[in-house]
Amino acid sequence: MDFEDLAARALNTASVRGAVYADVRFERNHTERIEVRDGVVAALGDDASSGYGIRTLIDGSWGFAASSDATTLGIDTCAARAVEIAKAGAGAAKRRIGAPPDRAYDDTFVTTVLQEPSDVSVGTRVALLLAAERALHVDPRIAVGRAWIDLWQTEKFFYSTIGSRIAQRILQSGSGLQAMAVDGTDVQTRTYPGDIGLYKSGGWEVIQEARLLETAARIGEEAVALLGAAQCPSGTFDIVLGGSQVSLQLHESCGHPAELDRVMGWEANFSGTSFLDISHLGTLRYGSDIVHIEIDNTLPGGMATCGYDDEGTASSRSDIVAQGTLVGYETSNDTARAIGRKSNACVRAQSWEYVPMIRMCNLNLAPGNIPFDHLFDDIRDGVYMESNRSWSIDDRRLNFQFGCEIGWEVKNGKRGRMLKNPTYGGMTPQFWGSCDAIADKASWMAWGSPNCGKGEPMQVGRTTQAAAPARFRNVAVGVGYDA
Amino acid sequence: MRSSERETLARHILKASSADATSVLVSTRDAALARFSRAAIHQHVAGKDTSVSVRAVIGKRSGVAGTNRLDDTSLASLVRRATDLARFAPEDPRLAPLPCGSPTSAPQGSYVAATAQADPRLRTQALEAIFSVAEERGQWCAGFAATGSSGYTVANDAGALASFDGTDAAINVKMNATDSTGFAEGYSTDIHGLDGRQIAERAATKATQTAAPRSVDPGVWTVILEPAALGELLVYLAGHFSAQTYDEGASFFSGALGTFQLDERLTIQDDYAHPLNPGMPFDFEGQPTQRLALVDHGTVSNIVTDSYWAQRLARENTGHALPAPNAWGPHARHMVVAVGTQTTDELIAQTERGLLVSRFWYIRTVDRKRAIVTGMTRDGTYLIENGKLAGGVRNLRFNQSIVDALRSCEFSSEQQRTGGYSYSCVVPSAKLQQFRFTSTTEF
Repeated sequence: MDFEDLAARALNTASVRGAVYADVRFERNHTERIEVRDGVVAALGDDASSGYGIRTLIDGSWGFAASSDATTLGIDTCAARAVEIAKAGAGAAKRRIGAPPDRAYDDTFVTTVLQEPSDVSVGTRVALLLAAERALHVDPRIAVGRAWIDLWQTEKFFYSTIGSRIAQRILQSGSGLQAMAVDGTDVQTRTYPGDIGLYKSGGWEVIQEARLLETAARIGEEAVALLGAAQCPSGTFDIVLGGSQVSLQLHESCGHPAELDRVMGWEANFSGTSFLDISHLGTLRYGSDIVHIEIDNTLPGGMATCGYDDEGTASSRSDIVAQGTLVGYETSNDTARAIGRKSNACVRAQSWEYVPMIRMCNLNLAPGNIPFDHLFDDIRDGVYMESNRSWSIDDRRLNFQFGCEIGWEVKNGKRGRMLKNPTYGGMTPQFWGSCDAIADKASWMAWGSPNCGKGEPMQVGRTTQAAAPARFRNVAVGVGYDA
Repeated sequence: MRSSERETLARHILKASSADATSVLVSTRDAALARFSRAAIHQHVAGKDTSVSVRAVIGKRSGVAGTNRLDDTSLASLVRRATDLARFAPEDPRLAPLPCGSPTSAPQGSYVAATAQADPRLRTQALEAIFSVAEERGQWCAGFAATGSSGYTVANDAGALASFDGTDAAINVKMNATDSTGFAEGYSTDIHGLDGRQIAERAATKATQTAAPRSVDPGVWTVILEPAALGELLVYLAGHFSAQTYDEGASFFSGALGTFQLDERLTIQDDYAHPLNPGMPFDFEGQPTQRLALVDHGTVSNIVTDSYWAQRLARENTGHALPAPNAWGPHARHMVVAVGTQTTDELIAQTERGLLVSRFWYIRTVDRKRAIVTGMTRDGTYLIENGKLAGGVRNLRFNQSIVDALRSCEFSSEQQRTGGYSYSCVVPSAKLQQFRFTSTTEF
């Protein structure tokens, strides 16, 4: 039986057993990972996983069951299990939150790919990583060099009882380098690109864009130089953050608190709640006037870019923060309905075996109008930081502390000596309120985060935050090292 | 899939492989969870899967492939993919032979049929009890009830053949009052060993006791960490005991194994057979896992190895391999902190001024070598004054070297299993004389 027939059987079984709505999402996931560590291939893996998840809705209560058994018996058993779960939930829950989606789609989506990863041999991939990793070792103090490539292909086939029929092929690729320098008393690490590598939707062209081989020696040199660099001072300073660090700041302090399920308390026991409240829509000052943040799940290269989310809602763009004011959330069908809006298609599941839930998807900070080099112009005494190495924020997303791999002094508008262990901290609205310059489109890029954790069972989401470097005033710097 | 079926499958794959050496991991899982907030169930899920991973070795080259398609064609393709990858891999002169294993037996209580067979109603009954407590206390609740079973078989053509089946149940509750929250959890291999009402009561009591939290100044405090908080810290220490981390110089005790000193009241075991957390007695290469002391009365006494790092460092293979492909080295997966002699209440009674922490949140490493971490308190942080709990305080951020904190510490006489999505350990409460908080938040 093909997916069409299996889907019909799953949806029919669910309906006959009492579901007022059901959908089924078949997935074929192919994951390839190569990691070179200190001159040897430490990981060379190729994993294929396929299966399906069935959602059922009974009396306002959702049930979800997943299985890799694609026989007719497997489908029947799984659909029945999803119904049994929904019924048990309906009997126990004191509030109902579910309703069927109101629109069906019949469509396909395919990630734009310039070069299929499968056209590049494993030997070529391994050779690239071996050469790049070797180039990191510019000094005997490089104790560990790493270079890696991840290639992910997901094929999804979504069907629902209201008539949706959506096929999608999504390719995501990423690669990176890391050098760890050790001198007996200190350990310093440099990672490239950004803090985790360059991850985008696309094919082998994403790996080429990273320019691993061309950059490796500089990364190794910086790791070694950090061992002898001055400690970042502690105090209140103006700071400039590199684009990947702005991206992570955005992820943690805007992306997560603007997830409407979190605002409604659904993540309270684990990922936490939010300092944002439904009553804040349209009124809360999230940041300065130049802070404009949007969801764009159509962004070329975005890790969350696709045609439809895992509830079958079409991808779109929508504002979260406009001229510094909170104007929207990342939503699903159920949560959007609770605030009288339509879903902005921010629902994803890690894979076939996971229930779809709200993720921040592609969350982007609009570029400003200042060339990157001019961000430093009127800083008298400040710090420039790049590449995250530590990130922590409270469970309402207010008090945060981030650390970066590398920093530089900024004195009278000029970048000066290198600083090690730069950290900074603050409170989210005050921090974004202190943002007085964002670099222009020339340095704006989509930074993929392939490992965002949320939900129970924990799901790993692949998100993007497109951002440019930005300047913030009067920030607490050196936190954690100020004893 | 039962262990006998997994073993048959593994043997079939070994027979089909033409590689010089082959290792097979068959994993099966059937897990379900009901997650709730404000008396609504928003994630009510179940999932079932069996997957196979094959590591093929050709000379000094190896490759790993995986699938969850178990038909003959897919399995033949699986072996071919792993073998092809091995041919592409450059030689690793340090590649170790596959371990030949030896018989192991599962610790008592690791598999409970009632947990494996739990139906949705059993989980929602726990939720109903939790909802009732919330209603009675005038609070709202969030959390989950989960049950599941898992099975692993590892086989290789060096002779290793090991199977394990385990179950797990968990209830997790956060109670939310007007300006305070409280947290409690329970883990067991036996669903009937968990009482949803009792766990909810504990969480609700914390929320009540910490109502109207006051602000305290950050600075160096004496703290008493309840098991959930200590467990969260301990996770960030586990990697330091990996042979790989140790050899690379990134461990806090690199070069000082056997001599590095912490408080003599600290003993940390890695023990898969602890009655509160009975687990798999072998690793993902099929090597029996040793129960060993990582810290013995204050002295850092052992690192954990797998076949690769045992050979590389000329040490014994302690059986702590993670699933292949693994670039992260061996890992201690069942940490246990030994108990002290006094109850948590007695530790509180002997504290003139301090903070009691129920739980931490979002801990991250700030300085790897010094094991400095940052994070926040959450869901029940109390002021201790004159040996008594004196109400709740607003949450604080800490920046603290775990190593420095463990230079002056003592432990309660009660242990508890605690855990999260990536770890599980058994710990008592801990009293740490010096713990540095650096800022506060608004709640």
